[in-house]
Formats: sequence, C-alpha cells, structure tokens
Amino acid sequence: MIEARGLSARAGAFELRDVTFQVPAGAYGVVIGPAGSGKTTLLETIAGVTPARSGALLLPGPGGAPRDATRLAPEARNVGFVYQHAYLFPHLSVAENVAYGAPDAEAAREAAARLGADALYGRPVAALSGGERQVVALARALARRPRVLLLDEPFGALDPRRRSAVRREVRRAHRERGLTVLQVTHDFTEAGLLGDVAVLLDAGRVLQAGPPEQVFRRPASPYIAEFLGAENVYAGEARVLGPAAPDWEDGEPGQLALGHRAIEFRTGPLTFYTVGDAPAGPGYAVVRSEEVVLSRADAAAGASTTSARNQFRGTVAEVATLGALTRVTVDVSGVPLVAALTTRSARELGLAPGLPVDAAFKAMAVHLC
Amino acid sequence: MSEARGGRTAYGAASVAAGLAGSLLLLFLLAPLGELVAGSGAGGVRRLASDAELRGSLLLTVLAATAATALGVAGGTPLAYLLARRDFRGRALLAAALDLPLLVPHPVAGIALLLVLGRDSALGSALLSAGVRVVGTPAGIVCAMLFVSAPLYVSGAREAFARVDPRYEAVARTLGDEPWRAFRRVTLPLSLRGLTAAAVVMWARAVSEFGAIVVLTYNPKVASVLSYDRFTSYGLAEALPVAAVLALLALVPLTVLRALRDGRGTDPGARAAGARA
Repeated sequence: MIEARGLSARAGAFELRDVTFQVPAGAYGVVIGPAGSGKTTLLETIAGVTPARSGALLLPGPGGAPRDATRLAPEARNVGFVYQHAYLFPHLSVAENVAYGAPDAEAAREAAARLGADALYGRPVAALSGGERQVVALARALARRPRVLLLDEPFGALDPRRRSAVRREVRRAHRERGLTVLQVTHDFTEAGLLGDVAVLLDAGRVLQAGPPEQVFRRPASPYIAEFLGAENVYAGEARVLGPAAPDWEDGEPGQLALGHRAIEFRTGPLTFYTVGDAPAGPGYAVVRSEEVVLSRADAAAGASTTSARNQFRGTVAEVATLGALTRVTVDVSGVPLVAALTTRSARELGLAPGLPVDAAFKAMAVHLC
Repeated sequence: MSEARGGRTAYGAASVAAGLAGSLLLLFLLAPLGELVAGSGAGGVRRLASDAELRGSLLLTVLAATAATALGVAGGTPLAYLLARRDFRGRALLAAALDLPLLVPHPVAGIALLLVLGRDSALGSALLSAGVRVVGTPAGIVCAMLFVSAPLYVSGAREAFARVDPRYEAVARTLGDEPWRAFRRVTLPLSLRGLTAAAVVMWARAVSEFGAIVVLTYNPKVASVLSYDRFTSYGLAEALPVAAVLALLALVPLTVLRALRDGRGTDPGARAAGARA
C-alpha cells in the first residue's frame, strides 16, 4: 500500500502541500493533473528522492505490512521508479542497466524477458529510441522486485502497438506479484482503464482522490470537471424538491437510498432535474457529453415517452468529427450543450448546423458540485 | 528594397570588422609563443641533454604540479560535488570565496601564504616543530601551486557534476545504492571526463605559476623561476631555451584537453540528455 497523510515536500521553488490519499496494497493508482501540478515531485517524495518536510508516508515493509517510511532512505524503501525520460545509465550496456539493482541474474533475466528488453541487449544505450529506453527502464525497475512501483508517464514514448503490450506486461507483473503501482498519466482513458484509485493533483495539492469512476463522474468542483474533460459545466442554483409526489414515494426506510432527494437545478433559461445529496443553493451542474442523447426533432411528437428526465429542444450549432467520435454542440435557448456521439450515429441522423434536434439525459447523469 | 540592401551592406561591414578584430587578437596571442617555440624550441630541447639544472627544474615543476593537482582533486572533488548538488545557505558566498585566489595578484597570494605558513605563524611554527618545513622547500612550491590553481579544478569539477542530471543518482538510489555507491557507480563515471579536464587545467595552471612560488620558495627553482632567474642574471639568450621548453610543456595539457573534448565525444551524461531531447 501507499498511504500519504498530510505529506509536504519542497523541490526548488515548488511545494507539495498536505497531500493525503491511499492506494491499497496490490492496487493500481493513477495520478492525474495539469503540467506543473507536482506529479513527479509526489512520486519523488514517495521514492524518498525528495525528502518530506512534514506528514507521514506508509509503504510496505519487508514482510509486506505497512510501515512508516517517511524518513527512510530511498534504497531502504524497496520502491521501483521509472521516470518519463527513463534515465538509463549511458555508461553501461542495456544488460548492465537491467541488472543494476537486481538481487540476482535470474531476476534480471526474467524482467528483461517479460518486457522484451533482452532483445535490445546487443545495442548501445545511446542508440535506443525513446520507447526502447522506457522498456529497459521498466525492466530495470522490475528486476529489483520492488513492492511498490512508481511510474512517471512510462508509456508516453511508446508507439501504440508496443504501448498496449508493455501496459499489459506491467499490469500482469502488478497482478502476479501483488505490486502496488502509482502511475502518473495525462491520458484519462489510461487512468480509467488502469486505475483502481485516481489522485487528482493541482498546484501541489490533492483536489480529489478516489475510484476513477467517482472522480470522473462525480468531480468535486467545476474546475476538476473541466480539467477532466467535462464540457457541459453550468453555474446555477439548486433547489431541493420536497418529499411529495411525483418526485417522492415513501417506502421501506431501509430500502431508501439515504440522502437521495429530487433536486431542481436552474441555469439560465434551463432547468435540470437530478437526484442526489447536494445541498440547496448556488453551485455547478456537470453533465458529461457522452451522457447526452440526440434525436431528430419530430414536430409531430407529443409528450415524451422516454425515461430521461432532462429533455430539451435545440438547434445543432457545430459538428466536429474526429475518427469514430463526433462532438455535436447544440444550442438550447442560447445555452450550449455538447453531446459526444459515434460518427456513425451522427451520420445516420444527418446532423448538420441549423438542424433542430432533441437532446436528452437522465437525472442521474447530472452531477452537482 | 534599398532598405534591405542597406541592411545587408551594414551586416557585411560589421562581419569584416569583427573578423579583423578577432584575427588581430589571435595574432597577438599566438605570435609571441609561436616566435618563441619556432625560434628556440629546438635549442631548448637540445639544451635538456646538457643542462642538468634545467632538467631538474622541469622534473621539480612536473612533480610539484602533479602533487598539487592530486591534493586539489582530493579536496576539491567533494567540495565541487557539494556546490553542484546541495542547496544550502551561504553556497554563493562559498563559491565566490573559492574564486578569490584567482583574482588576487599572485605575488600577493605568495605573501598571504607566507603569513600562514612562515616560521612566525602559528601553523608554520607548529609544522617546523613537527619537522616539516614549508617555506623554501618543494612543499612550499606545492602549496603555492595548490593555492593558485585549485579554484580552477573546483570550478571545472562543479560544472562537470552539474552537467550530470541528479535523477541518474536518484534512480541508482531507488535501485538500492547508498549515496556513496551511487556516486561511485553513476555520478563519477558520468562526470569523469569533465573532472579529468578540470584536473588537467589545474595541472597546467600549476606548471605555469611563478608569482606565488617566487615569494614562497625561490630555491629549489621550478622552471618558471629558472627562466626568470636566467633572464635577470644572464639575459634573454640564456632565458630563451628554458622559456621555449616551458611553452612546449604547455602543449601537453592542451593536447590532453583536445583529446578529452573531441576524441570520444562529450560526457555520456550529456550525450544521454541529447538523445532525450
């Protein structure tokens, strides 16, 4: 496990402040955040390369049980570290790099074979590509058989084919050896795919930490929502609807989802309907673009027959296609609402600027923060 | 159109002026040494066979400079590492203080050393009572050479360490190395070429020292003092062969430095950084 409790550190003028999060033993954590947010400094502090100024850090001890590692030297932490730029020792051969910290030759051989670094043994370090360097650096870190693996954007330099293969091997090593991994990434898809825990960092502070699903779907602030790529973020005011029909029906108290209340959120001319435990008053509503469903506006249609509580009629303002995905911006009474569709759906609907459409999303797709 | 032509003409004139100024300076720097080596180099080398005093002084110079360099490397390497790697209060002041011996006139350096190492000083008298005489002995020559040339080593070594990204060392630490082992296995090999170059520069500076040595130890004579002595006692003709041999000796470190810089490329650390870019 990796547990940081109010961890603070300084690297030059940059300060990591009061960082608290936990990656359980054997879990895969991802650190996300804008450039300069302190992701590398966080990893360096966990590795012991940058000393902690205050707070506490728990890492697995020799038997696997957590121990206070706050003041331990880097070599005593049993932590593997792979930097974004690999930092292979240029005066050593590829094989010597892999074997550098390995307890025995077998450990080096196994790690190299696992990641395919042994195929590079005949080449000088200076002649390796960025991706090949990363592979060797990963093998070097794994050859030491650490209990914790810290990865600073390790897959960025790899070509797509090798990236998925190396990612798979790291994941396999993580699973087979019960490694606790903490990886920095800019790739939200990667964060969602790999992570059991996501730590969102900004300006040296943890903005939010938890399961990626929660961080992505339930961002704690509009800033986080926008950073994580949510395009529909609206300022407005929430009003809690009373425990009366049609929004409420009494039932067995034990079966009720505690704290779930019907909420109305007004933003400009629009009113969203949602369910949750957000307090009444000013706030923000976040609707992820992939939750928005578009259909051709049918003037003849009467009352809605879908279960989506939020339905708006608008006009297509912009259609932007990139590969298999198309982003459609709909103007709803002057308020932009972005929907992410498959390109095929967008084509079948014949979406084009000026076309009237109906946009809909479920109450549960609206997150208030 | 004419504005562009005017710009080109001004650029051309500036280039010619800069080229001329550079050539004049180069001529000024090389002509005296070229004249000395061309005119008296062969005579100086021939003189080595017959002039035992010249041979002895050259040997003394080389040995004293080597001893001073060894002492400078032993003390200067940790100091340079500290200055390159650690951020501490007073670092800038320490770095400036280390450069001070380079800035004072060298006879002044000799006088300052005399104050500390002379028989009237606490250290000098303590050394004398322990049977170690510094002033007027080869030890005094080593001290004078060390004083004026060690700052060059510290400065060069500091740059050599600074060129090695500290993250190489950080990786070595996470791979199980204790600080000294990480230094020995990673930082030292990666900075070795720069450290060697710094030591060669220090050695060359020590060989050429005159002002501080002449105050601290006139006899036995190192080559620079012998050259001065022959010039003042016997005139230019007698001084020329000694001076020419000294100028030729300066080619040795120059050749080593060129080999270090060009022969096998740059530092491995710098090469790795280049590969990343």
